[in-house]
Amino acid sequence: MMKSMPRRTLLGAAGALVAMPAFADVISSAKMTASGGMVGGAATKKKPPYRIGFSNGFSGNTWRTEMLASLRNEASHHPEIKQLIVIDGQGSITKQVHDIQNLAAQEVDAILCIANSGTAVAPALRTANREGIVTVPFNLPVSGTEWTAYTGTDPSNKGYVLAKWLRGALNGEGKIIALGGIPGNSYTAAAWAGAQKAFAGSKIEVLAFKDAFWEEDKAKVVTADLLAAYPQIDGIWADGAQDGAGAELALLAAHRPLVPVTGDDYNGLLKLYARYHASEPKFDIAELSEPTWESVVALRLALKLLQGEQVPKETIITPQLITSANYSQYIKADLPDGVYVDTNLTEAQLKTLFG
Amino acid sequence: MSVWTFLRRIGSVWIAVIALYLLSGLASPAMLTLHQLLNVLQVAAFLGVVSLGETFALLVAGIDLSVAGVVTMTNILATAFMGGHGGSVALGVAVPLAVAAIVGMINGLLVAIVGITPLIATLGSNAVLYGGALLYTGGAPHGGTQPGFAALGQGSVGGLPASMLIWFAIALACTVLLRHTVYGRRLYAIGANARAARFTGIAVRPILVSAYVASSLLAAMGGLLLTAYIGQPALGIGDQFLFTSIAAVVVGGTALTGGVGGVGGTVGGALLITELNSITDILRVSTGVQYLVQGSIIALSVLLYRSIDRARRTRETM
Repeated sequence: MMKSMPRRTLLGAAGALVAMPAFADVISSAKMTASGGMVGGAATKKKPPYRIGFSNGFSGNTWRTEMLASLRNEASHHPEIKQLIVIDGQGSITKQVHDIQNLAAQEVDAILCIANSGTAVAPALRTANREGIVTVPFNLPVSGTEWTAYTGTDPSNKGYVLAKWLRGALNGEGKIIALGGIPGNSYTAAAWAGAQKAFAGSKIEVLAFKDAFWEEDKAKVVTADLLAAYPQIDGIWADGAQDGAGAELALLAAHRPLVPVTGDDYNGLLKLYARYHASEPKFDIAELSEPTWESVVALRLALKLLQGEQVPKETIITPQLITSANYSQYIKADLPDGVYVDTNLTEAQLKTLFG
Repeated sequence: MSVWTFLRRIGSVWIAVIALYLLSGLASPAMLTLHQLLNVLQVAAFLGVVSLGETFALLVAGIDLSVAGVVTMTNILATAFMGGHGGSVALGVAVPLAVAAIVGMINGLLVAIVGITPLIATLGSNAVLYGGALLYTGGAPHGGTQPGFAALGQGSVGGLPASMLIWFAIALACTVLLRHTVYGRRLYAIGANARAARFTGIAVRPILVSAYVASSLLAAMGGLLLTAYIGQPALGIGDQFLFTSIAAVVVGGTALTGGVGGVGGTVGGALLITELNSITDILRVSTGVQYLVQGSIIALSVLLYRSIDRARRTRETM
C-alpha cells in the first residue's frame, strides 16, 4: 500500500483550505479538504468516450486488491469510459516509469497512478501532462506540481492523530514502542514525525522505534525481542495495524497484558480487539483508515477534468478514526483479517473478492 | 591441534554464536534470560529449517532461490486448506508438501537435465511461485490455521518451543542422511567434483534432482512452521528467506562451490542470524545497520572459511 513515498511537501502549498463534502455514495463519512487552487476547465476538456490508464506501482496486498476492485467497479458505472487499462509496476521504479510512458504512447485520455517513487515518476507524468493527458496521482504523492490533480490522506496528520489518541489512552504517561513499515519508506517517516509532535511535552517514553514492514509476522518477532528487553510496555504506536496486531500477538504469546495500540483500518486488529477486549481491560485500539476508495476519488477527479469541470489541485481525504466506540460498525467478522474495512465495496463484493 | 583445525572441528560458527550471545548479554542482560533464549530458538526454527534445505542445494554446488516462493506458496495453500469451517489440517500440510516436491523436481530437472544454471532456474521458479500465489488468491488471500496446528509454531513441549524441537529433529535426520548414508557421501562427492563422481559410477543427475527436491520440501516445512506461528496468510511472507537462507548456510561453513559443509554449521548459521536480529532489535539498532552487520558477517565468514581452506591445503602439501 505505502511504499517509497517522499515526504509530502505539497500540503503546505499556497492556497486556502476549503472544506468539501464527501462523495455521497461512498460508505464513509470522511471529509475532504481542497488545497492548491483549482485546475481544469477548458484546458483539460475532451470528448468522450474516454480511455483511462492506471499505473499501479505494485499489487499483491489486500489494500491494493480492494483499491483496484473499487476502481474497476466505479469504472463499470461510467458509460463514458470506453476502456480502463491497468498496468502493474511489480514494485519496480523503472518499470513503472516505462509503464507511464507506454500509457502516454497509447494516447490515453487520463493516467491515474500510485507511485513506487514519487520522485522517479514525476518526469514521466510531466511529459504526459504536457502532451495534454490528464494525470492524477493518488495515495502516494508525486514530487513537483506538473501533474493535473492529486488525492490521498496526510500521513503526518495520521501519525499525529494516532499518537494523540495513544497519549490520551495512557493519560499522558507511559512507556511505548513504535512500529513502522518498510525500512526507509517516507510514509512512515512522515507519520512518525507527526506522532512525535503529539508526544512532545508528555511523559510518554518511546522505548524503541522499529521497522516491522507492515507484516504481522515481522511485527510479532520484533515485539517478542523488545518484550525481553523492556519489562514495561504500556502502549504501541504503529502506522499500520498489521504491525499493531502482530505486536499484540507477541504480548499474548508472552502472557503479557494487551495494551492500547494504533494502526490503520486492518480487519485483523478489529477482530483481535473483538476477541480479547473483554478479558484484557487495558486493551484499546485506534485505527485511522487509509481508504481503499481513494481510487474512486481519483477516477472521479479525472472524469470531471475530462468533462471540463474544475477540481482542486489537491484533494486531501480525512480518514475515519475507528476506536472501541465505533469498531462494531466497521468490523468484518466473517471476512479475513487482511480486509481493509474503510471500503466502498459491498459485503457481497468483498466476499467474492476474498473467496 | 592448530587453531584452524580446532575451528574446523568445532565449527567456527558455533564459536561466533556463543561469543555473540555472551557479548549481547553484556550489552543487554535481557538477552541472557531463559525466556529470550527460548524466544530466539523458537523464531530461529523457521529460518533454520528453510536453511537446512538450502544446504542440500549448496552442497551439490547449486543454489535454490525459489525457497522464498515455496514458503509463500506453502503459507497461502496451508491457510486456504485449513481455514474456515471444515478446514483440513491434513490437506493443509499435504498439499503444500506435494507442490513443493513438484517444484523441487522441476528445479532439479532444469538444472540436472536441461542444464540451466541453478541461479536462473530457481530464480525463475521463485517468480512463477509468487505469480501463482497472486493468481490463486487474486491478491486477496484468505484462510487461517487450526488451533492444533498453530501449536507447532506457538506451543511448547516441556517448556521448550515446539518449533525448535521440530527443527532439531529435522536437522538430526538430515545429518544422518548426509553423513551416515551412501546417498549422503555421493551427494558430497558430486558437490566436490561432479565429473569425477560420474567417472566413479555415481548417478549424478538423480542425486542432483533429489537435492533440489529436499531443498523445496524443507522450505515448505519451514513455511508450515512459520504459518503455524503467525496463523494468517500473507503474500510475500517468504521473501525474508531469499537472502537469509543462503546467508545462514554460508555463515555456517558450507561452501558456495559445493562439497564442503554440513547441517551442524547451518543450524549455527541460522541461530547466529536470528541472534543478530534479536540483539539489534533489543539495542534499538536501525534496520539499515542490521543489514550492514548481516552483510559484513557473511563477507567475513567467507573470508574466514577461505583462510581455513587454504591453511588445510598448505598443511596437506607439506
